[in-house]
Amino acid sequence: MSDMPILRINALTKRFDDFTALHGINLNVRDGEFLAIVGPSGSGKTTLIRLLVGMDEPTDGSIWLRDRRIDEVPANKRPTCMVFQSLALFPHRSVGQNIEFPLKLRKVPAAKRKARALELLELLRLPAHYYDKRIDECSGGERQRVALARALAFDPEILFFDEPLSALDYRLRKTLEKELKDLHQRTGKTFIYITHSLEEAMVMSDRIAIMKAGHFEQIAPAEEIYARPVSRFVAEFMGEVNLFDMTGGAVPGLRFGPEATALYGGQSGALMVRPESLSVLAPGQGAEIAFDGVIEAEYLLGSRVQYTVARDGAAPVIVEVLRENAVSGGPGTPVTLGCPASACHLIAQEVQDAAA
Amino acid sequence: MQRRDRQLGALYALPLGVFLALAFLAPILLVAAFSTMPAKVFSLANLPDFSAYYTVLTQGYWKSVMWSLGMALAATAILFVICWPLAYGMAKVFGRFSLVLTIGVVMTLFVSENIRLFGWVLTLMKGGLIEGYVRHWTGAGFDGLLYNVPIIVFGLCYVYLPFMLFPLAQGIAMVPDDARQAAYDLGATRWQILREIELPLAMPGILVGSLLTFVLAAGAIAETKLLGGQAVIVIAEEVETAFTYGQNWPLGAALAMVLIAIVGGIAIWGIGKADLDRMMGRR
Amino acid sequence: MKTSRFAAWALVAYGCLILAFLYVPLVSVGLASISKARYLSFPIRRYSYDWYGEALASDTVRDLLVISLKVAGIVTVVSMVIGFLGALAFARYSWRFRKTYQKLILLPIFFPQTVLGLALLMWFNTLGVVPSWKTAVIAHLVWIAPIATLVISIRAYSFDPALEEAARDMGASTWDTLREVTIPLLMPGVVSAGLFAFLLSWGNFPLSLFTTGADSTLPEWLYAKMVAGYSPLVPTVGILTVCTSAVLLAVGLTAAWIFKRARAARVS
Repeated sequence: MSDMPILRINALTKRFDDFTALHGINLNVRDGEFLAIVGPSGSGKTTLIRLLVGMDEPTDGSIWLRDRRIDEVPANKRPTCMVFQSLALFPHRSVGQNIEFPLKLRKVPAAKRKARALELLELLRLPAHYYDKRIDECSGGERQRVALARALAFDPEILFFDEPLSALDYRLRKTLEKELKDLHQRTGKTFIYITHSLEEAMVMSDRIAIMKAGHFEQIAPAEEIYARPVSRFVAEFMGEVNLFDMTGGAVPGLRFGPEATALYGGQSGALMVRPESLSVLAPGQGAEIAFDGVIEAEYLLGSRVQYTVARDGAAPVIVEVLRENAVSGGPGTPVTLGCPASACHLIAQEVQDAAA
Repeated sequence: MQRRDRQLGALYALPLGVFLALAFLAPILLVAAFSTMPAKVFSLANLPDFSAYYTVLTQGYWKSVMWSLGMALAATAILFVICWPLAYGMAKVFGRFSLVLTIGVVMTLFVSENIRLFGWVLTLMKGGLIEGYVRHWTGAGFDGLLYNVPIIVFGLCYVYLPFMLFPLAQGIAMVPDDARQAAYDLGATRWQILREIELPLAMPGILVGSLLTFVLAAGAIAETKLLGGQAVIVIAEEVETAFTYGQNWPLGAALAMVLIAIVGGIAIWGIGKADLDRMMGRR
Repeated sequence: MKTSRFAAWALVAYGCLILAFLYVPLVSVGLASISKARYLSFPIRRYSYDWYGEALASDTVRDLLVISLKVAGIVTVVSMVIGFLGALAFARYSWRFRKTYQKLILLPIFFPQTVLGLALLMWFNTLGVVPSWKTAVIAHLVWIAPIATLVISIRAYSFDPALEEAARDMGASTWDTLREVTIPLLMPGVVSAGLFAFLLSWGNFPLSLFTTGADSTLPEWLYAKMVAGYSPLVPTVGILTVCTSAVLLAVGLTAAWIFKRARAARVS
């Protein structure tokens, strides 16, 4: 792995007639990295990937593959490849012909093509006799693997993925997520993966870039994004969260211990506490941050139990505890909740654009 | 529900089915029966002797068959080339203009074929729109452009253009954009996308368009009569002549059977291959 | 790989060119219809609308018009009814011989019309029916009813079967379902099929040629005059029939547009 980024995006802007989809964004992707670009629909991620593979041209800015500028290069001349959301397998060709398609375009001799296709079938753990199968005879998971094999066939430098798992059912998706991560490790290629599912991104990727309204909100490893989001948007996007408005180091209704007071003294922003960080305090038990409330509703989530806790004159709080720590007595029970200061994170101010 | 569907389907099919059996299949069977009769009889109460077919084979009628098929083939090939870019535009590029184009083309279908062909006669004849004005402006006239084989093929192309255009556009619309983009992303050039992706995937439309054009052009008669003068005689005209001036029904029937066999065979083969449900957009 | 702007404009220009090409002969006929000379020759030296007056006053033309209208009118109504039922069998319901039925319906459309006309003439003769405009109606229907079926089928394909099932589930009988759900939903298709049927019958001559007997329709008369015994009324009558089609089509399209607007307004 060299220090030079394999892909560099510089002040990339894309404007449509009266709408700016990308506002001069920057991004560096390391060689061999698995980067997930996550955002809600309309955040510009599809526009971005279309620019990266060459289906569209940017209005402004540049894209560099190592030291070569590629934003003017058409898609069919770029050494990158995309796996489509629909997979876009050619229905009139067999599995083998699909995989060999890019090689045929590059005039690779037939024997060599077949050898490569069989090699890829093996890499993707598909039996060799699938070579002659028709596409419509393959299951959803098998098609996925064929599409991957086809994308890998001409040994592209970067593989792009446009939510290829979104149409599959939950269990298959989970299996394929792991397979994809495994494939990334075995091939050592750079993967850039677009999705609206943060869960998917967290399972697979080394780094996650969160997109919102045409810019990057935060680019960081999954763990950091989860624990230390830079904005309310990121915090809320990463699953259920409690956000308390803090002014001058105080939050109405919350009791701070000495450590928390020292940490947040005089600061303002949004104090984030994840539901699973909170616990129900036994009578007399203290915590760095504590508050009172009344259980309003109870939901069973398999191994965990979730409560909605109402507070006087403030938005309700969500708490998640392990099943064995469930509160006896259902809705209506008054509780005191607390957590250590280290489990909280203060989102000081909204950030406009995160540089990589 | 399924049983009810089956019953209703058969019930609703009945009126058109019975009508076509009586007014389409029965007359064709009658023609088939007449084609076996001896020359110049007007009833089926005779012993079949198949002499009409002998006449068809020995009297040079194969030339008319060849002219019909040859000109139909030429018109089909020319129309395919002319219509492909337009159909592509209608299916993938035009947007709103597609509708204008569709209405504009469909409207011509509602104008009697003979009026449109007559319009070409007026346009192309000596003293017609083209020659008349060229002579008026340059002083030098030329012979009319009518009464030859190329002009008949031109007429066929003109009349049957919609029958190639619309199925082609439908076929191209069936090519998923993703497949084209994926091929492009995998390194295909424009030409390779056309050959490897668009042509094979649009094949049902190409097939239906070509068949429709070929079959209709092979049975056409007005183009030859109005634009071709006496240049060639096509098989449909031979059929007409045998029935009317010749007053030889068995010969006409035998000639018709030859045309029906060729055209019907191709049509049945083509219709059998096309998945109508998919082409017409069944959910 | 979007189509470049230049390529898109080139394609539009090409489309306009083809469209213009399709209408060239009508321009010629139109010019011819207002030429004063009895024997037409371009360039036209003197224009006059006299032929229109003569055509409209002519008894022959009026008789032809009445017969053409009668044939087209009956063909339209019958096509709409059988086409509606046929389309349900074609596209909506799964039944045993559906695929065969679909193919049977397509065959007459592919069939050479001259041969079909002659075959029907023989058939009527064998049955002892004297050809007249009534037999021409039958002949037109052989070709037009299948087309009407296809036009309505396109609409029927986009029809969600769950709607009928829901109606039945709420207690509607087969007849109720047909009247309350199926017919209203397919109505736009039925109306456009009717328009198609009228226009196709109005302009058809190869089928009429052999099946009208002593009667004659407008296109048939035009054809006869074109092939032999030219009359200066040919371009004029031709343009008149074309204008009739155009007016009808315009009325149809406008009605469809107004209907759609009214419905959109009601919804919003």
